[in-house]
Amino acid sequence: MARKEFAETLYDSYGQHFAIDEVYFESRTEHQHLLIFHNAKFGRVMALDGVVQTTERDEFYYHEMMAHVPLFAHGQPRRVLIIGGGDGGLLREVVKHRSVEHITKVEIDAAVVDMAKTWFPDHSRGAFDDPRFQLVIADGAEFVRRAEDAFDVIMIDSTDPIGPGEVLFSHDFYRQCKRILAPGGIMVTQNGVPFMQLDEVRKTARAFRDLFTDWHFYGVAVPTYIGGMMTLGWASEVEGLREQALEVLEERFRLAAIETRYYTPAVHRGAFALPRFVEEAIGK
Amino acid sequence: MTDPASFEGSALDRTVAAHPTLGGSGSDWHALVQQHGSPLLLLDCDVIRRQYRKLAQALPDVDLHYAIKALPDKAVIATLAEEGCSFDVASNGEITLLEQLFIEARRTIHTHPIKRDSDIRTALRYGCTTFVVDNFDEIEKFLPYRHRVALLVRVSFPNPGARVDLSRKFGCAIDDVHALLAAADSRRIHVKGLSFHVGSQVPDARAHVEAIERCRDVIATRRERAVAPLSVLDIGGGFPVSYDGSVDDIELFCAPIRAALAKLPPSVRILAEPGRYIAAPSMTGVASVVGRARRGARMWYYLDDGVYNSFSGQVFDHTCYPLIAPDARGQAQPSVLAGPTCDSIDVIAEDILLGEMQIGDVIVATMMGAYTAASATTFNSLPRARILTIAPPAQVDTQDSNVVRIA
Repeated sequence: MARKEFAETLYDSYGQHFAIDEVYFESRTEHQHLLIFHNAKFGRVMALDGVVQTTERDEFYYHEMMAHVPLFAHGQPRRVLIIGGGDGGLLREVVKHRSVEHITKVEIDAAVVDMAKTWFPDHSRGAFDDPRFQLVIADGAEFVRRAEDAFDVIMIDSTDPIGPGEVLFSHDFYRQCKRILAPGGIMVTQNGVPFMQLDEVRKTARAFRDLFTDWHFYGVAVPTYIGGMMTLGWASEVEGLREQALEVLEERFRLAAIETRYYTPAVHRGAFALPRFVEEAIGK
Repeated sequence: MTDPASFEGSALDRTVAAHPTLGGSGSDWHALVQQHGSPLLLLDCDVIRRQYRKLAQALPDVDLHYAIKALPDKAVIATLAEEGCSFDVASNGEITLLEQLFIEARRTIHTHPIKRDSDIRTALRYGCTTFVVDNFDEIEKFLPYRHRVALLVRVSFPNPGARVDLSRKFGCAIDDVHALLAAADSRRIHVKGLSFHVGSQVPDARAHVEAIERCRDVIATRRERAVAPLSVLDIGGGFPVSYDGSVDDIELFCAPIRAALAKLPPSVRILAEPGRYIAAPSMTGVASVVGRARRGARMWYYLDDGVYNSFSGQVFDHTCYPLIAPDARGQAQPSVLAGPTCDSIDVIAEDILLGEMQIGDVIVATMMGAYTAASATTFNSLPRARILTIAPPAQVDTQDSNVVRIA
C-alpha cells in the first residue's frame, strides 16, 4: 500500500498535511519510524515518528539561526560541538566560519548520517568531508559527561523531547554542557514552538536559571515547525554576548563573507526580542 | 460453564448440509484437515467485510473503530482498513500490528483507561494522540504531553443485562465526570469528549440509549459553562451477534441508538468500537477426534482443540459456540467433547446428544471469530490452531505468519 499523503501527528487537534509525490525511504525499527518523501512545496521531507524533522526547502531558517547567531556573537569561535543534527545542515553552516578550527559532531546513530548523505546531500554539501570535522558515533549525553576538552560553542540540535532526544532536555545534561563550555563560550539549544508547547521552553528556562549567568531564548519561524515562531535557547557564563552591538555583528558578518538566506545581523539582534507570553513563561 | 441445554436438539446431532461459505459436506472438512492439519480456524475476510458494512449501514455517520483485541489478525485489520474502518488500540502490541500494516495513526484511538507512561509514549510515537481516562491519576499522567493529546473521559453505567458487564472495572460514575473535567481544565489538558461501554452482547439498545442521553446532558452542561465543548462521543461496543443460530438484526438493534444520537448537537462526532460484531462470524473452527472412551453412560470424545486453545472464549468470554458434527452417525447418545490438555476443566461440551464418531472425525464450530484465537494459550505446550485465511486483501503477506491463502 503506497503512501499518498503524510499527516503529521504532533498534535491531536491541529496538524500539517503533505501530498507525497514519492516515498524515497521508509524504515521502521523497534526504536523509530523514519520516512523520507518528496513534496512539491518542500522538496525532500524527513519525518521521524510522524513528526517532520527537516525539509530541503525550509531547513535554512533553522540551521542558519542556530549556527550563525552564537558564532557571530562569540567573535572568535575555534572549537564547536554539535550534538545531534544528523542531517548535516547545521554542520554546513558552521564550516562556513573560517575561524573555526575544529568541529566535533556527536550522533547517536551512524545510519542517520549515511541516510542524510544519500537523501539530503544539499543539507551537508560536502561538509562531512571538511578536514576540521570529526564525527563521533555516541550517545550525546554520555559523550558530554565524559568529555574533557572545552568548546567555544555548543549546539544542541535535538529532536522532540519524546524518544531518544529526551535526555538532551534534562537539567543534568545542561550542567554537563556547562562544564565543557570554554571561557566566553555559548550554548544554544532547540526548544520547540512556544505557542504549541510552552512547557518545553519553561522547563529549559528553569534549568538555565539554575545553571547559567546569562541565558535567554531567541526566535525563528520555521514553516514546517508549525504553530508560529520556535525558540532556540541561549546560555553563557558571559553577559553581553547576546547583546552584541549591531555594528559589531555587521562587521563580523562582512569580514566572514558568508552567504545566507535567512540570517542577517539585524535579524540576529531582533531575534532576542520575545513575545510577552514567552517572557512570562520563562520568568522574565 | 457450558450450558448443556444450549446444545440439546441443536445443530450438534445434525450433519452439516452446507457451511455458509465453504459449503460441502464432511468430506470437505477432511480434505482441509488433510491438507493443512488440525486444529484449524478458517477466517473468511468476506464475512469481515459484510459485518463491517452492515454495522456501518446501521450506524451511518458513526466512525467505527474496530476493537483489535477481539481478533488481532493482520488480514482482518487490512481488510477493515480497505473498507475505511478506523481502529481502537489498547496495547503496544496492537500498535505494532497497525504499524506493520502502515495504518495511519490518525485513524486510531487508544482506549485503555489505565496506561503506563511508556504506553503513552509508544502511542504518541506511533502518532495516536487520542486517549481514554477515567480517573484523576490517569489525567495527571498526561501533564508532560498535554500539548499533544486530547482525552475522552470514560463514563460507567452499570448494566447487569450484558453478558460481560464492563462497568465494574473501568469508567467513572456519571456524577464524577464534571470533577474530572474540571481537573483536566485546571491542568490545561484538553478533554474532547466522553466514552462509555455498556458491556458486551447486550440484549437490546436500552443501555446504549440511556448512556447516550446521560452523556448528552453532560455535553449540554459543558457547553454552557466551559471553554472547550465536548465534541466527541464514543458509544463503545456491545453490538450483539447470535450464537444460537437465530438471525441477528443489527438494523433493528441500532434504530433506537440512531434516534438517540440524532438528538445530540450535530457538531458532536460519534465513534463506536465494535469488536465482536465484526469478528465473531468470521471464523469457523475445525477440530479432530483424536481419542474416545466410554465412561459410564457417556461417550467421551477427545479433540485436538479445547478451552485452552480456540475455545478459550468458553472460559473468558462466557460463550458457547454452535457445534456441528458432520461425521456423527447412528443413534444419538449422551456424549462429552473434551479438549486435549490434561486439565479436567478442558471440556467443550457435556451431556450432549450425539451420534457415534470415529477417531479422525471432525467437529466444526461456527461463530469462532471473537475472543477465541485472541485469548488462546499454549498450555501443555500445545500449539495454537492454525488460521487459514479466505479472501484476504491483496496486501497481506502470508509468508510471515501462520496464514494460508486458500481462496
